[in-house]
Amino acid sequence: MRILVIEDNERLARLVVDGLQRRGFSCDTALSLSGADDAMTSATYDAIILDLGLPDGDGIDWLMAARRYREIPPAIVQTARGALEDRVQGLDAGADDYVVKPVDVEELAARLRALLRRPGIRAQTIVQVGTLRFDAARRIAHVGDHEMELSRREADLLELLMRRAGTVVRREVIENALYNFNEPVTPNAVEAAISRLRRKLEDAQVRGALQTIRGVGYILKDLTA
Amino acid sequence: MMRRNSVSRRLIRGLGQVGLVGTLLLFAAVIFFYRLTFSHLDAGAALRRAILESLEHVALPVIVLMVPVTVLGLRVIRQAFVPLEEAAIRIEAVKGHERGFRIDTSQMPEEALLFTGAVNDLLERLDEAARRQEAFAADVAHELRTPLALLSLELDRLDQVDAPRLKGDVAAMRRLIDQLMLLAQIDAAASAQIAPEQVRLVEIAREVVSLLAPAILSAGKMIALDIEDETVIVRGRKEAIATALRNLIENAVRVTPAGGMIQVFVGPGATTGVRDEGPGLDQERLRDLVRRHRRADHASKDGAGLGLAIVDQIMAAHDGLLVSDPDRRELMLRFPDV
Repeated sequence: MRILVIEDNERLARLVVDGLQRRGFSCDTALSLSGADDAMTSATYDAIILDLGLPDGDGIDWLMAARRYREIPPAIVQTARGALEDRVQGLDAGADDYVVKPVDVEELAARLRALLRRPGIRAQTIVQVGTLRFDAARRIAHVGDHEMELSRREADLLELLMRRAGTVVRREVIENALYNFNEPVTPNAVEAAISRLRRKLEDAQVRGALQTIRGVGYILKDLTA
Repeated sequence: MMRRNSVSRRLIRGLGQVGLVGTLLLFAAVIFFYRLTFSHLDAGAALRRAILESLEHVALPVIVLMVPVTVLGLRVIRQAFVPLEEAAIRIEAVKGHERGFRIDTSQMPEEALLFTGAVNDLLERLDEAARRQEAFAADVAHELRTPLALLSLELDRLDQVDAPRLKGDVAAMRRLIDQLMLLAQIDAAASAQIAPEQVRLVEIAREVVSLLAPAILSAGKMIALDIEDETVIVRGRKEAIATALRNLIENAVRVTPAGGMIQVFVGPGATTGVRDEGPGLDQERLRDLVRRHRRADHASKDGAGLGLAIVDQIMAAHDGLLVSDPDRRELMLRFPDV
């Protein structure tokens, strides 16, 4: 996976790139927005990591302008904690995710993995979480070489959880993703689907991966990390 | 003890002196004009006349003048001080929200303007000093972040057993700095009188629990959210309330043993908080901890004692309270009802 790191502090950029490379990402650096434009015409990236305060302009303005006339890979924006809710709302307009500066490489890598699992511009048809592999086109899940037997709804549920592995997926998100508007959702339909899926995962030797966060939702542990 | 100066008493004393002098002068005038001599006084009729003349020309004018003057004088004084008393009540009422407060001088008598003006100037200077102090603290915090970021990135490259521990320390430091900056922002927003938004506690709790759950699960502990009331709305700043709740949860994570459960709750009423499997924290100890920014014995070494003090400050800015119930092992944020 190829990542473009847009960051004007050279030392910071070098350290971030270094950390990401050790975690299996290949990275390029751009020290300015014009440098980023150049890099993006000569190569294709799977994701970009964008700092906001750059010498030749504001990162978010650049991102929004760029999105208007060409395809830009998903972006993780680095924002200063100093900027409060209003800033974050502004970010919602253009960024796919944001991390609070100063960045932690571990967190950045986790966010990148999560971002790249999401169905995006270059949708990945194979989603992998640890030994668990899901083929989004064929709707088939494997644990190692063993194929899991899943109903359509269980496959949808597994894909959703896998694409967001390592983060809590809210219950209402699952309801909206799995059931249509006009389809009546019984109060424990989601729970039932989850427990069936959990049993199948346990049977396939993926133990303790699917956890319930009562009152909030469910989480599939990011077994990659 | 020295008797305190009183304008009313001084007025009465002054008027008394004026009355006395007036009486004596009037007496002298009566004696002079009516040629009253002490020789006349033997005769009963003369005495009666003398008394009558004195009453008519001395006592009556003195009483007719002095009584209304005294009553009016005292009333004027009392009324003159009413704006000052009202200002005192208002000053008392802003306890805890002193920033940006000024005495309203529109109703003040001209004579008091010099004083109230001087007090307002003093308040201005104190605000300015506090602002500078905060700006400085915020600058320091901001400037510290880049070297800390570099430090943690450098640590990330180290292939040593100590590296994770050091990284943890740096991460704790970074969080502390973030929180100090958040506090500075809350203060700045309060003094700029930015109107708070209405936020749903359930939303905040879900977000914070979602954010922290992965790390809590990795540490072998569990977390759940119990919702007593879905609809609770409070007025405040979302990020500040989220930080307060996050600090409570992180505190609970520290004192909860592996395999233990951290229960976050919302409601009943405008409350949210955390129930843990730690030893509980009595109210007095909590106050002490918050006041002195000190770390309680029950917190382990990786805990920043400032965390609860920050929660307390955030709650104060929301007119709310940080409450502890050691029997139920709860730490709770209590907000005023909207």
